[in-house]
Amino acid sequence: MCPNERDRPVGSTGPVPETTPGLGERIPRLLLAYWPLGPLVRWVARLPTSVHSKLLGAFLLIALLLIALGAMSLQSIASVARQSRLLDQARERVDASRQIEHALGLQMTFTRNALLVRDDATIESIFRENNRFRDTFDRLEAAAPPDQRETIQRLRNTQDKVMATVARIAALIREDKADEAMDLHLSEGYPLYREIATLVTRAVRNEEAGMGQLREGVETTYRRALLLTGGFAAASIVLALGLGFVISWSFILPVRQAEGFLGQIAKGDFSATIDVPNRDEFGALARQMNEMSRELHQLYDDQRRAAHQLQVLNAELEQASRAKSNFLASMSHELRTPMNAILGFTEMIRDGLYGEVPPEIQDPVSDIHTCGKQLLGLINNVLDLSKIEAGHMELALGEYVVEDVVNTVKLSLRSLAATKGLEFVTTVPPDLPLSLGDGKRIIQCLMNLAGNALKFTREGRVEIGVEIEGETLRFAVSDTGIGIPADQVENIFEEFRQADATVSRDFGGTGLGLSITRKLVELHGGRIWVESQAGKGSTFFFSIPVRVAREAAA
Amino acid sequence: MKTVLYVEDNEFNRKIVRQLLSRTSYRLIEAVDGEAGVTTTREAVPDLVIMDIQLPKLSGLEATRQLRADPATAAIPIIVITSFALGGDEEKAREAGADAYLAKPYSPRELLQMIRQLAPES
Repeated sequence: MCPNERDRPVGSTGPVPETTPGLGERIPRLLLAYWPLGPLVRWVARLPTSVHSKLLGAFLLIALLLIALGAMSLQSIASVARQSRLLDQARERVDASRQIEHALGLQMTFTRNALLVRDDATIESIFRENNRFRDTFDRLEAAAPPDQRETIQRLRNTQDKVMATVARIAALIREDKADEAMDLHLSEGYPLYREIATLVTRAVRNEEAGMGQLREGVETTYRRALLLTGGFAAASIVLALGLGFVISWSFILPVRQAEGFLGQIAKGDFSATIDVPNRDEFGALARQMNEMSRELHQLYDDQRRAAHQLQVLNAELEQASRAKSNFLASMSHELRTPMNAILGFTEMIRDGLYGEVPPEIQDPVSDIHTCGKQLLGLINNVLDLSKIEAGHMELALGEYVVEDVVNTVKLSLRSLAATKGLEFVTTVPPDLPLSLGDGKRIIQCLMNLAGNALKFTREGRVEIGVEIEGETLRFAVSDTGIGIPADQVENIFEEFRQADATVSRDFGGTGLGLSITRKLVELHGGRIWVESQAGKGSTFFFSIPVRVAREAAA
Repeated sequence: MKTVLYVEDNEFNRKIVRQLLSRTSYRLIEAVDGEAGVTTTREAVPDLVIMDIQLPKLSGLEATRQLRADPATAAIPIIVITSFALGGDEEKAREAGADAYLAKPYSPRELLQMIRQLAPES
């Protein structure tokens, strides 16, 4: 990592492709550039752990948050339930206190009634009511909070006193001392009732105050639970979003960089290196890509150097080829010019342009002419081969009649065959289609083959035959000559080859004819082969298309 | 009497044609390079030009082209002597404007035949 890269906003590191970003692209860029999310993304990227672990960590964190949120909600619900329960109890106690107050009122009434009516039944109802009173007290005391216990104790004590007083009043009534009973009721009973009423009122007031507090407590707990749950949920969402953003961008950024980097490489620019803060799989990938870029750069340079060298070499070769062509052209001309004079003068002498040729001169003049022609043939062969080697042999394509071609060869070689006493036959099937190719070169091929056949045959016959098979013409030149040993058939078409070194002594020739013939046949898109038996004769075949494709011969 | 111009740098070849035509009614004039060939044609306006393909100073093909381009000499028949060096010599001769071509070494008999064909003896 470059030391100064820390200063740059994360969103701008690396060669991110410069396209017009959409809204979904602009927002993350803004967030990365101006929020503390950038360093966080970098921090996550730099964590030396795998992508898998990072994702798992993020999911676990979010899961923990959800669990905590659930726990807190449960706690709030429990708290609210407890306070509600307390409230219910307080309400029960208030009810009980009210019952006491009510019972007190009844007792007062009964006591008054007893004083007025003076019978046992009424006094009994006072005691009955008093007993119910006691039950309520028990309930009240059991449920009361500690601070209320004292009030209830006092209530119970006062009630006991009331009971004692009522008992005395009842006794006085039974003894028919109504006035005394009335006095007792007014002097002791009534103040005691008043005291109980006061105590009950105080207890109710206390309970009501406690209830108010409890209600407020429930309200507060409820509000706090709501706030906490809401806050927690909001925090969870923000955290989840933030984590998602940070983690995804810690992956997206190196991928973007890689994309730009590979784009540059694809354009042949190897100057950049990819530099991501990640220490996870993406970091490893970036390292591999740098390695790959270096290798590619090396290869690219090597290849460019090689291409340049090849170009230079090509130019040199082209120049050499041009020089060779020029040399060939001028050599051809230079050799032919004196040949022209030699053959020209000889022909004119033989034609009697300089007067009648004396008989004793006729033979040597004829020899000069024959040798001149031979020399010309050799020159032509050497030049042809040079042309072929230099890649300058081109066919002059045109339409030709196979029969005419064969007849030309027959006419040229007829006298040679006759001189050697050989039978010379040509067989051309009728109705052959008009052919396309270089007629002169095909004549040259047949001349070479038939010339050889005549040369290497001492007795018997030489035959030129033509067959057509579909779109292919097959020429065959057979003889009854010396034949070619089996082990030499293979390379008979190579340059400067003759079956045997002694052959050239006996029969002459340079061994170029077959080589040139093969090249010419191949230029026509055909092939050449030989079937031979040493001592019995040979048959040379070549097959070429009836109509040579123009581009194939170019 | 018809005039024939032979443009050829080799003395022996010129001699052949000189002797070939000596027994005919043709008058032979000679030039030894391409430039001289063009100049002589313009000055003498022969009935036929025999042009060697490879000449000093100006190639036979270029000389033929120049003669064809000049209205004064455009109609004069030209025989180009090719040396059959590389493929397409004949085609090049035709493109340059030759009426006929003959490959070196030519037979004097054939050449005379061609001359008589293109510029019949009067």
